[in-house]
Amino acid sequence: MKQLSSYIDHTILKATATKDDIIQLCNEAKTYQFHSVCVNSCYATLAKEQLKNSPVKVCCVIGFPLGAMCTEAKIAETKQALSDGADEIDMVLNVGFFKSKDFDAVSKDIEAVKKCMPNLTLKVILETCHLDEDEIIKASEIAIQSGADFIKTSTGFGTGGATIEDVKLMKSVADGKAKIKASGGIKDHKTAMEYINLGVERLGTSSGIAIVTGKTSTESY
Amino acid sequence: MDISKFIDYTLLKATSSERDVINLCNEAKLNGFYAVCINTAYVALAKQLLDDTSIKIASVTGFPLGATSTAAKVYEAKKAVEDGADEIEMVMNLGFLKSRNFVSVLKDIIDVKLAIKDTPLKVILEISELNKNEIIKACSICLDANVDVIKTSSGFSKSGATLTATKIIKKTIKDQAQIMVSGGIEDYETAMKYLEAGADRIGTSKNINPASSSLQTRNAKIYKKYLDANHKQNNSEAQYSKMSQELR
Repeated sequence: MKQLSSYIDHTILKATATKDDIIQLCNEAKTYQFHSVCVNSCYATLAKEQLKNSPVKVCCVIGFPLGAMCTEAKIAETKQALSDGADEIDMVLNVGFFKSKDFDAVSKDIEAVKKCMPNLTLKVILETCHLDEDEIIKASEIAIQSGADFIKTSTGFGTGGATIEDVKLMKSVADGKAKIKASGGIKDHKTAMEYINLGVERLGTSSGIAIVTGKTSTESY
Repeated sequence: MDISKFIDYTLLKATSSERDVINLCNEAKLNGFYAVCINTAYVALAKQLLDDTSIKIASVTGFPLGATSTAAKVYEAKKAVEDGADEIEMVMNLGFLKSRNFVSVLKDIIDVKLAIKDTPLKVILEISELNKNEIIKACSICLDANVDVIKTSSGFSKSGATLTATKIIKKTIKDQAQIMVSGGIEDYETAMKYLEAGADRIGTSKNINPASSSLQTRNAKIYKKYLDANHKQNNSEAQYSKMSQELR
């Protein structure tokens, strides 16, 4: 197995996160050798600056957390984030279009973002708390067909986070064609290992330090 | 008092479908609300539905965290206006405010304002995250940026508008901008309290117009009458056209 820390996107996405919070997040990511830091797009530049000369990547969220911004705005946000230094993008699927069964629009939304970053890692957040089993299967299929490198469970801002059952479903659809990122509510070493043993290749969490040091965190994401 | 003209009828949740947006616009027409408020992905649809009415379309940018890059907020706002939005609501960058990086907070707002020119700009402060001094500071930045409306809440944070915060905002900005309250305003009485406290606009996802509930009661009676008649006579076409006339 890879080192546990390399599974972790060290995450801070709350609206009130300050410059100092981001600097601390980046320092922790360097110390614990996390895969990336995951931040809102207004902090891409700052995170990149903090992480220059380090292998830690910058991951930015797009259309976050509702996924309901128009496609063109998602494209503009992505391009800006990439030019500010983002290495990976986590976009939220348009859940409203999905619920309207306008699968074509859902797919185009994802394809348009992928087109901005053909060689970089795109993760598509399904927000599984809003979806039933059939919808999770369908959303996973659409995301993968539209160019997602990862399908990701949750924003951490919905009504619930990752569950073992949802991840198993996603894994069965992905079947090697895409990787899985589990996020939302993963706060301790034991839970993290459960997901990794299911074949999850990335964890989004604010509790990365607790996870790698074997403690339990009080963070909510 | 008819408060329908104060109301932005709002649907911003992630799972809102096309059907939900259509219902929202129809109810807004029926009640004569001032505006509907929707996410940018649905502006073009709302524009189609409301094109022949005076109901305005408000849309959001950087919503609900306010933490998207300025460039992304600018682009989203511009695109929404192009698609037919009459008003833009942006969330203030709370992280910058909390970092005391007021220059960036102001720049974020002014850049959006410049991009949308004469389209009214509302700025959401998200008061649930701010203390009194921060609310006052946020208001003064909004005034420096010449925003049209200061709005209390996104509706996606831990809590919404409060009367206390509304009064603080009113005292700070006086009549230099309008105040819009939102988040948890779910009935007529509450809405009235805010209007008395100095609010100019109300954002709500609940249909709080008392006229509308009496209309709904009236309609329910009509539906019932024709449903009963329909069962007996089994002539759906005729029943339907009579019913639709009576509903008008």
